[in-house]
Formats: sequence, structure tokens, C-alpha cells
Amino acid sequence: MLPSSLIVIVATALFTLGAALMLIWGWRKGFLRDLDAQSRVIFDDRDWRLARPWESPAERAEREREFGVSLPADKGEWGGAL
Amino acid sequence: MGRRTVSAPDATQAFGATALEAGEVSAVATSRGLAPEDLDVRLRADASSRTVVLVLFSVAVLWLLVGSIFGDIASIKLHWPDFLVQQAWLTFGRVRTAHLHAVNYGWATAALIGTSLWLMPRLVHAELKGAGMALVGGVLFTIGITVGIVAVLMGYTDGMEWLEAPRYAAGPFLVLGGGLVGLSLFRTVAARKAPHLYVSVWYILGAFIWFPMLYITGKWPTWSGVESAAVNWFFAHNVLGFWLTAMSVGAAYYFIPKVLGRPVYSYQLSVVGFWSLAMFYSLNGMHHLVGGPLPTWMITTSIVASVFMFIPVVATGINLHMTVVGRFGALRYSPTLRFVVLGALAYTAVSVQGSFTALREVNRVTHFTHWTVAHSHVGGYAFVTFVCFGAMYYIVPRAVGHEWPSAKLIRWHFNTVLAGISIYVIALTAAGVAQGMALLDPATPFEQSVIRAMPGLYGRTLGGLILTVGHFVFAYHFWIMLRMPRGVPRRSRPPFHDAQPVLYTREAAAAHGAPAQEATS
Repeated sequence: MLPSSLIVIVATALFTLGAALMLIWGWRKGFLRDLDAQSRVIFDDRDWRLARPWESPAERAEREREFGVSLPADKGEWGGAL
Repeated sequence: MGRRTVSAPDATQAFGATALEAGEVSAVATSRGLAPEDLDVRLRADASSRTVVLVLFSVAVLWLLVGSIFGDIASIKLHWPDFLVQQAWLTFGRVRTAHLHAVNYGWATAALIGTSLWLMPRLVHAELKGAGMALVGGVLFTIGITVGIVAVLMGYTDGMEWLEAPRYAAGPFLVLGGGLVGLSLFRTVAARKAPHLYVSVWYILGAFIWFPMLYITGKWPTWSGVESAAVNWFFAHNVLGFWLTAMSVGAAYYFIPKVLGRPVYSYQLSVVGFWSLAMFYSLNGMHHLVGGPLPTWMITTSIVASVFMFIPVVATGINLHMTVVGRFGALRYSPTLRFVVLGALAYTAVSVQGSFTALREVNRVTHFTHWTVAHSHVGGYAFVTFVCFGAMYYIVPRAVGHEWPSAKLIRWHFNTVLAGISIYVIALTAAGVAQGMALLDPATPFEQSVIRAMPGLYGRTLGGLILTVGHFVFAYHFWIMLRMPRGVPRRSRPPFHDAQPVLYTREAAAAHGAPAQEATS
């Protein structure tokens, strides 16, 4: 007689072990290397240079020192049109 | 063939909707501070997913309206039992179930699938592979949801919460539709050109691996009795954590850094958050059965797993919140950020609340009360739905090629849904505690537990009606967006601009010497 909880035990084990195996696979494949570069993959040059209205003058100056002259944002850039 | 040629000055309106000719890419890119290859990648990514994303968003908005109306009817019935009782399909058991299916699968799932289909090409720097296949999948999924909800309203049900839609009527459409969309996403990742996989990719891919496993397990036709209850909550809780939460957190990890222009606070924490969610979440559902006829060790293990949830929640919460710290002023300018950041806060809140609610000492009060309904709405609405709204405010303009036409409607939408969900959650949480205390007191008659919860039920209806108003405002605004000619702004003056906060008031406009009409329109 199988316990009534068997399916949940098996399914949970599949989820947990599957995730663990995926983590090991990803680690070996190098998906967890160079995390700093991973965190920046969603940005392009324009993202770093856009002038943001909530920036302080000091923040803007620092950003311009690092990435160059500011670019004006488009209409509704922050949730409207690009 | 089929591409529209857009001159450089029009590029602002055309970016999301069209691809440029090769020579123009370079000119426009230079004028906008983009490397030509960056612009080309972004254009192709956005254009490849445009149709399916807009179809799914349209379906989602329709179901949001339908689901809201069903929710309001169900809520009114709790304090006005004779309301709409003449027709069987309008009775509480059917309407409440139809509401759950409409908002969780019709609205949130469709909106998040659309968001994922838009995000994935951008995340991996490639076009959406099999966009037609994804579109067919989206249509089949929609048919499945429609069939399921109609069947529920007709009285057909599989009898498991969150899984009521009949497996043989709706199931094939949902499985096939979801499978085609998933296939498209996996093919896109396989064709990636990005050098790295961003954390959002893990969340989205994880969701599309986990959901079929959950659905097949939940819908397997042999469960019965206690086994059925265990499987039911295995599915119902995990569909939140592994499906809706996974895609929502993945979206938040994209939109918050992208709008702010700064990477997440700690990418290492985002990795910890994802993998700990993947490994610890799946046993959580059993805490819904505290006191039920299941092995005690199983419930206890689930409670322990629920407390373990502090790890991914704290990791994700710290990460998203610390990314925003020092930039909260940006919320005034960005509808996307406002919705997504509040959604992220709600994620932390609902998860911490959930971990505590799983504890036996708390659960003995809150179990079988309105507390649980309030809790589920913090997760399903304040978290998931807010992220969906934020994502749509960002994506739709880029898909149709022009900005949202009215800052006033955005304000109305935001203020009504924030007020509505606040009233809803506060009222029902208080009602749940009062109800639970009354139920635990052997000297208190059962009717007293109902009477004490009544103010909360009125508050629930009030909050729900306010939410519905906000949804109709959003749907109207969305409808205007779809009707506007592509790439052509309807108004010469932008309703909100980089220098003008969206929460701009008439008074602030006067103080800045700007025309009040522009500031409030």
C-alpha cells in the first residue's frame, strides 16, 4: 500500500534534485562565472549615458566622467515610449 | 519585404515597432548615442516579438476586466447573499472560481507570458525564434482559458482549487499552447548572441520548465481523498512560486536596473535568490493543510521549507530594494518603476507574511479565515499584478511605437489600484483575525465569527470596486494606444517627459511657470 503523500514526496524530490542538478550543470558550463559582466548584459552604451531627471548634479558629473557626455532622454523614456 | 523604412527624425516613434534599413540604423544610432550594432539588436529583438506580445496583452486586459467583475460579484454575495441568485451560473461557487481563473490564468499568466516573450529576445540579444509558433501557442492558451471558464460557469469542474477547469476540455489547449510558447522561448535562448545569461533568463526558463510539471502532476486523473488534497496544494502553492513569482521577479530584475541605469545591488544575491527558490519552494504548499489528515512530519517539513523561504526572499528583497535606495525620486518620473518597485516591496511583504502564517501558532488563528484571501491578494495583486502593469507601461509604447497619451489616466490608474488594494488587504486582514479569534473561542457562537467579519467584507467589496474602476481606466488607455496609428504621436505635446514627473500636479506646474493644461493632461 503506497502512502497518500507519496506523489508529493516524489514530485518535491524531483523539483529539488532537478534544481540541484541544473545548478551543478550550470556551474560546470560556466554560467556562474563573471557575475559582474552578467549583471551588465541588459545595458547598452545609451543606458549609461542617458540624463536622468532624478540625478543630482554630482551624480551626473560622475557618470559623465565615466561614460561621456549625457544624452537626452526620449519622451516617456521611463515607462512611456523609448 | 514588409519592413517599413523610417527616417532618422521619426526614429523615436519607430523604434519599437519597426526595423530600419541598414544605412539608417547607423545614422539613427549615432544620433541617439547607440552603437549601430546595439540599435540593430534592439530593433530586431523588439520587432520579432511585437505581434504576439500585443495579442497576449490585449487578451490579458480583457480577462482583467472580466475577472474584476466576477470578483466584485463574488465579494458582494458575501454580505448580500441574495444578490444575483436567480441564475445558476451566477452563484458564488461558480463566479468565485471564474474570477480566480480569469485573473490568474487569463490576466496574470497572459500578461507575464507576453512580458517574457518581449524580454527574452532583449536579454539574449537575438530575435524571437518561432514567433508564429508562440502566437499560435498564445491563441491556443487563450482558447483553453476561455473554454475552462465557460465550463466552470456551466457547472463543470474537476473539483480541485486552482485546477477547476475540466482537464479534458481546457487541458489540451493549455498544454499545447503553453508548450508552443515555451518552445519558442527555449529556441530563442539556444540562438542567443549575448555573452552571458542574465538572471531574468533563469527565472523565465525555470517557470516554463516548472509549470508543465506542476500542471501534469495536478491534473493527473488518479488522485483521490487525502492524496487529492496534498496534490491540490502542491500545485496551488507552487503555481504561485514557480510560475507567477518566477516570471514577475524575472521582470523586476530587468525593469528596475534598466530604468535606473544601474546594475542590481548584488548580482551574487540574485543567483542565491534564484537557486534557493528553485530548491526550497516545492514543499511549501502543505502548510495549507496544517491540522489536516496528513502525516505530521509532512506538514512540519512544509513549515520548515516555508521558513527556509526567508533565504530567497531576503536575497531578492535586499537586492531589489538596495538597487532603488537613493533613487526613490525616480518613482515620480516612471510609471514602470513605481509599479514594479511597489510590486517588489509587496513580494517581500507577502513572502515574510507567508512564512509566519505557515507557523502552527499563527495558522491556528488564520486558517479558514479571510486572512488567507487578503494574503493571496498581496501576492497575486500587489506583487504580480503591479509588476504586470509596470511591465506593460514600459513594453506597450515600444511595441506600438508611441508613448502613452495621457499622464492623467496613468495617475488615475495608479492611485485607484493602490487605494483599492490597500483597502482590500487591510479590511480583510483585520476581518480574518477577528474571525479567527472568534472561531477559536468555544464560548463564542459561530454566527459571531461571521458578524465580526462583516465590516471587512464590506471593505473587500469597496476595495474591489475601486480596483475595477482602475482596471477600466487602464483598459481604456490601452485601447487608445492600440488604436493610435503606429509611430505617430497623437499629441504634439508629450504628456510626460524626462524633465516632467508623471505625478506632476497643477500646483507644481504653476510653481514652475508651466501651463497647467499641459501639466495635468
